[in-house]
Amino acid sequence: MKEIVWLSLSELARKIRAKEISPVEVVQAYLDRINELDPLLKAFITVCGDEALEAARKAESDLLARSQARPLGGVPIALKDLFSTAGIRTTGGSRILADSVPKEDAAVVQRLRAAGAIVLGKLNMHEFAYGPEGLNDHYGHTRNPWDANDLRIAGGSSSGSGAAVAAGLVPAALGSDTGGSIRIPASLCGITGLKPTYGRASRTGVLPLAWSLDHVGPMARTARDCALILKCIAGHDPSDPTSSALPVPDYEAALTGEIQGLRIGLARRFFLESAMPEVREAVERAVKLLEQLGARIEEVNLDSVSYSTPVAFAIVASEALAYHAEWMRARPGDYQTDVRERLMMGAFVTGLHYVRAQQARALIRKEIDRALTGYELLLTPTTPTPATLLGQDEVMLPSGPSDVRSALLSLTRPFNCTGHPACSLPCGFTSAGLPIGMQLVARAFEEATLLRVADAYQRATDWHTRRPPLANRHAAPERPGLDTRYLP
Amino acid sequence: MKTITLESMRRMAELAGFDWTDAELEAIRPAVEGALHSLEELEQLPLGGVEPPTYYRVD
Repeated sequence: MKEIVWLSLSELARKIRAKEISPVEVVQAYLDRINELDPLLKAFITVCGDEALEAARKAESDLLARSQARPLGGVPIALKDLFSTAGIRTTGGSRILADSVPKEDAAVVQRLRAAGAIVLGKLNMHEFAYGPEGLNDHYGHTRNPWDANDLRIAGGSSSGSGAAVAAGLVPAALGSDTGGSIRIPASLCGITGLKPTYGRASRTGVLPLAWSLDHVGPMARTARDCALILKCIAGHDPSDPTSSALPVPDYEAALTGEIQGLRIGLARRFFLESAMPEVREAVERAVKLLEQLGARIEEVNLDSVSYSTPVAFAIVASEALAYHAEWMRARPGDYQTDVRERLMMGAFVTGLHYVRAQQARALIRKEIDRALTGYELLLTPTTPTPATLLGQDEVMLPSGPSDVRSALLSLTRPFNCTGHPACSLPCGFTSAGLPIGMQLVARAFEEATLLRVADAYQRATDWHTRRPPLANRHAAPERPGLDTRYLP
Repeated sequence: MKTITLESMRRMAELAGFDWTDAELEAIRPAVEGALHSLEELEQLPLGGVEPPTYYRVD
């Protein structure tokens, strides 16, 4: 029974279609695993055990009745707790929405269900997605499965999604990404996470952090699994004004394993050179392997990305406070401290700052577009540091000490500003056994190229197949006096 | 480093409709100053002819 939980999403779907395993057996295996490990990991806010088993029984009947199996028929999946789910509470990781039960599914959840997926539960997150560490005072801080007993962060804000997939509590999850919230936990937890192009997957029914920077996408163990999910959730949604009407390609068909002659720009300045030595070395080894697989790699400079920090700050702070203004007036005490303080900062960003940030964003986008005329992909580390300890304020980077939050966001945030598709995939481990992620970035709407290279790399490596030790499976106590406040 | 007085913060918060205490404002003042300083960097960019990518679409 244990091995079921380590099958990839694609393998599970195939075995269910072939009637080699039953959806009920699969869902029960994951529920057992959640029951065993989630008290330690705190990856789930809500587990939909009864609903999932009922859906699994229905999927089993469907399999016998249908001539054409659905792509995710009978496969369990979990959702960051900001995707609306009809009849299931959607908290946003907050106390404010603790009892909020939507009437409708988010558009991407509707699409997953239409593809046959079974919702196993709702996953923990940084409150209202406003933090890259994955801290949550209300539902507990999600633990990184690679070092759960030493209380390391899973990364955020899609912390539960990262930890649950890495620990085998679910084969795949949906996350959201405003500054790196899919890619950061993917990097820190050793899984694969894809932020599609802005507009590729609908945001309808997803609690916003910052409308103009929010993306939704898959988190899974492999690039192939991400391709399978993206194919199901992508596509035009008239109720999302930023949704693209471009046709959705067959992402799985693009996974040929062939990358001969593909040109990749390695971003050393700002990206690689800002990473800790073990991260840099792992990424450089990945570069060598991609060269051996036939890719042509050259160094590229992306000078304007250094402006993405103030750009993202002005946009996120303004848009987030605009969304939260009513609650910030009526119930400020119901926010966790770090999130309330970040929201407050939006009041000191002027209209001029906001427009300047949007103008600068256009410059950054132009530079990345220009770089991507010479290369099919850009390559960077995903995060300059592996998972830090819960409560750790500072990390030492080659440029000097940095607060953990800024460090985590620094390499992913530029591609939220530009909207380009970007994914993180595991490319090694530190000497302490913590995962390291590399980031690939493609031209707008070229997710197929991104996934093809990630898949080719995963065919040649086994980083993505490694399992966290979770040697001591006992619930760890909360760290007393943990201060989650953020002051840059 | 850009500085901002407590009085300015109080006034801006009030204009935005928030009733935050001095202690709450003092707690974030260093962060606000850091953020305003970083926003000044944007004024160095050649943004004169750049139209911001915000639009209103009429379908």
